[in-house]
Amino acid sequence: MSRFVLRRLISGFLTVLTVFVINFMIIQAAPGDPVKTIMGKETDDPQLRMALEAKFGLDKPWPERLWNQFSAAMQGDLGTSIIYNRPVGDMIKERVLPTVLLGLTSAILALVIGTALGIFCARREGSFLDGLFSTVSYTLDAMPSFWLGLMLIILFCSQLRWLPAQGMVNVRAGYEGWDKVIDVLIHMILPTLTLTLISMPGYFRIAKSSIQQVTSEDFILTLRAAGIDDGKIFRKYIFKNAILPTITMFGITLAFLITGVTLVEIVFSWPGMGRLTMTAINQLDYPTLMGVYLIMSISVAVMMVVVDIVYALFDPRIRYN
Amino acid sequence: MQPTTNNQDKLQDLKPEALDPQVSEAGREEVLRIQDMNVTYVNRNKKVKAVRHASLTIYKGDSMGLIGESGSGKSTLAMALLGLLPKKSTLIDGEAIFMGDKNLLTLSNKELNQLRWTEIAVVFQKAMNSLSPVHRISTVFEDIYLAHKPGTSKQDIRKISLALLDLVNLPERVYTLYPHELSGGMLQRVAIAMSLLFSPQLLIFDEATTALDVVTQGQILKEIQNMEEKLSTTRIMITHDMSVVAASCNKMAVLYAGEILEFGYVSQLMKTPYHPYTQALLASFPALHGEKKQLESIPGFLPDLSSDLSARCVFAPRCKNAGPRCHKEKPYLKPSPCGCGEVACFMYDGGVE
Repeated sequence: MSRFVLRRLISGFLTVLTVFVINFMIIQAAPGDPVKTIMGKETDDPQLRMALEAKFGLDKPWPERLWNQFSAAMQGDLGTSIIYNRPVGDMIKERVLPTVLLGLTSAILALVIGTALGIFCARREGSFLDGLFSTVSYTLDAMPSFWLGLMLIILFCSQLRWLPAQGMVNVRAGYEGWDKVIDVLIHMILPTLTLTLISMPGYFRIAKSSIQQVTSEDFILTLRAAGIDDGKIFRKYIFKNAILPTITMFGITLAFLITGVTLVEIVFSWPGMGRLTMTAINQLDYPTLMGVYLIMSISVAVMMVVVDIVYALFDPRIRYN
Repeated sequence: MQPTTNNQDKLQDLKPEALDPQVSEAGREEVLRIQDMNVTYVNRNKKVKAVRHASLTIYKGDSMGLIGESGSGKSTLAMALLGLLPKKSTLIDGEAIFMGDKNLLTLSNKELNQLRWTEIAVVFQKAMNSLSPVHRISTVFEDIYLAHKPGTSKQDIRKISLALLDLVNLPERVYTLYPHELSGGMLQRVAIAMSLLFSPQLLIFDEATTALDVVTQGQILKEIQNMEEKLSTTRIMITHDMSVVAASCNKMAVLYAGEILEFGYVSQLMKTPYHPYTQALLASFPALHGEKKQLESIPGFLPDLSSDLSARCVFAPRCKNAGPRCHKEKPYLKPSPCGCGEVACFMYDGGVE
C-alpha cells in the first residue's frame, strides 16, 4: 500500500508539473497585454511600459520566466498579482476558506440527502413518493444553478425579505465572535441550498439505480434463500455493494471542491475561488491565474490519491500492489 | 467423466437401486409432495400461467431431475417452492407439503426463513454471482450460520465450513478469500458447500452446473453424488441438459410449457420414453457410441403461456402422433404402461382419436 501511495504521489507531482507548464504556455499564447491593462488604454509611455515589464519579469524570455515562476512556486511564492499588487498566495488563502466552507457543506448535504432519498425510493419503487422524488430530482437536474440561485434570491430576499442576498458577512454590522459565525451561517443558507439542490440529483440517481441493480443480483437471491433477515441483507450486503459508485462520485466532487463554483459565487457575491479565477481571467492577471491553477491541480492530484485509497478500503477487488 | 456420453453408458454409473424401477416406494419417507400446484405471473393486462397442475412426490434419498427447455417453468417451480417470487406479481395455489406437515406455499416469510437453508437449500444458476464481491467467503458462511444458530462461535463455524469445503475438494485457504480470487468452478463448489451448511433435507440445484465447462461439470456431478452418499440428502436437479440428469439423478420429470408431461426412473425413461415429447427430446441428443443417427429437432415452438391451454394437450401442435382428441381434451398424468412412472398422453390412455 505505501509503495502505491508513493507511486501515486510521484505521478501526481508529475501531473501537477505538466499542468503548470501547459498553463504557462496557454497564458503566453492568449491574446491581450497585461501591461496595457495596468497602464490604461490612453497611456503609451515606453518608459512606464519598460518599468512595469521589469517589475513583473515580463522582459525576460519565456523559458527563463517559466523557470523563475516554477522555482518560486516550489518555495511557496506564487508571485504578485498584476491587478491588485498583492501576493497571489495571500489572495488565494483568503478565498480558500469561504470556498471550502460553501462547497464542503453543500457536497456533504447533497451526498447525505441524495443518497438517503435514493435508497428510500429504490426500496419503494413505483410508490407515490418514489414518483414524486424522481420527478423533483429530474427537474432539479435540468435546472441551471445560476437561475435557481436567482429565483431563490427573488423569493427569499426580494419578496419575503428573510435572508441576505449577497456576500458572506454583513460588512456594515461588523460582527465579532459568535455573532459573526451566526451572520456567516445566515449568509450561507441560500448559496448552500442552491448548490445542494443542484448536486443532489446526481447522488439520488446513482444511489437509486445501484441499489436496484445490486438488489437484483444473484447473491442477494442466495442470501434470501438462505433465510437471512431482509433488513440485514440490505444493511450489510446491498448497501456495501451499492455505495461504491457514490464514493467515486463524492471523491470527484471533493477533488474539484477547491476550484469553487463560479456561477453560484457570482450570483451570491460569495468571496470564493471561482470569482477570483473569473476576475483574473477577465483582467489578464497572469500570476493570479497561474497560482489558482497550480493550487487546483495539486488539490485534484492529492484528492485522487485519497479517493483511490478509500476505494480500496471498500472494494476488495481493487488492490494496489 | 465425459458428460456427453451415450445415455446407455450413463446407466452404468448409476447407483444399483436407481437401476431397478421396481424398488418399492412404500415405506419411504416423503420429503416433498407437490399437489396440483399452479404459478401465475400477473401484470396489468396479462396472466402468464408459468406452471400448471404440477404434481410430484419426492422421497428421501431421491435425486429428481427436472428437465425441460427454456421457459418451461422449471425455475419458476423451484422459486415458488422457496417462496422467493415477488408476492405482488405472482399467484400461487395448490399444495407443496414438505416433510409431511408443512405447506411451503402458505407459510409466512418468517416461517419460511426458519426452514430455509436448515431444511431446504438451493444452489442457483450462476454460482459465480452467488457470492457478494465485497465480502469474504467466510463472512457469508458466518452470516448464514448465525441467522439460524445465533451465538455460535466463529471458530465452530469455521470448523464446519472447512469440513464442507473439503467435501467439495477445496483447500482451506478458500475460506478467507474473496469471490474474485476464485475460478468459476471453485465458486460453484463454494456455493454447493454453502448449501450443505445445515445438512438440509432437500437440496435444489437450479441449473447449478450449466455455466461450467463439461470437464468441471463432470467433476462436480461426481462430487455431488459422493457427497450424497455421505449425507443422504434428497435433491432436485433443475436442468435442460439431459446428460446432467443421466449422470446424477435416479428419477426425472419432464416439464413442457409449465406442465409435467412424464415422470419416472431415469434408467427406464432413457431406454423407453413414453411421451412423444420425451422421445423427441432424447432423439435430439447425440450418442457417443453406437450407430450414427441424424439428430432430430422438434418443429414449432412453445405455446403462448398467457393463452388458454386448459382444454388441449400443450404439446399437441408439435407432436407427430397427435390426433383430434389431443386438441380438444387435456391429458393428465396416468400410470405409464410399465407401471413404474406416469405419463400425460392419450396414446396410453384410450387413444388419440
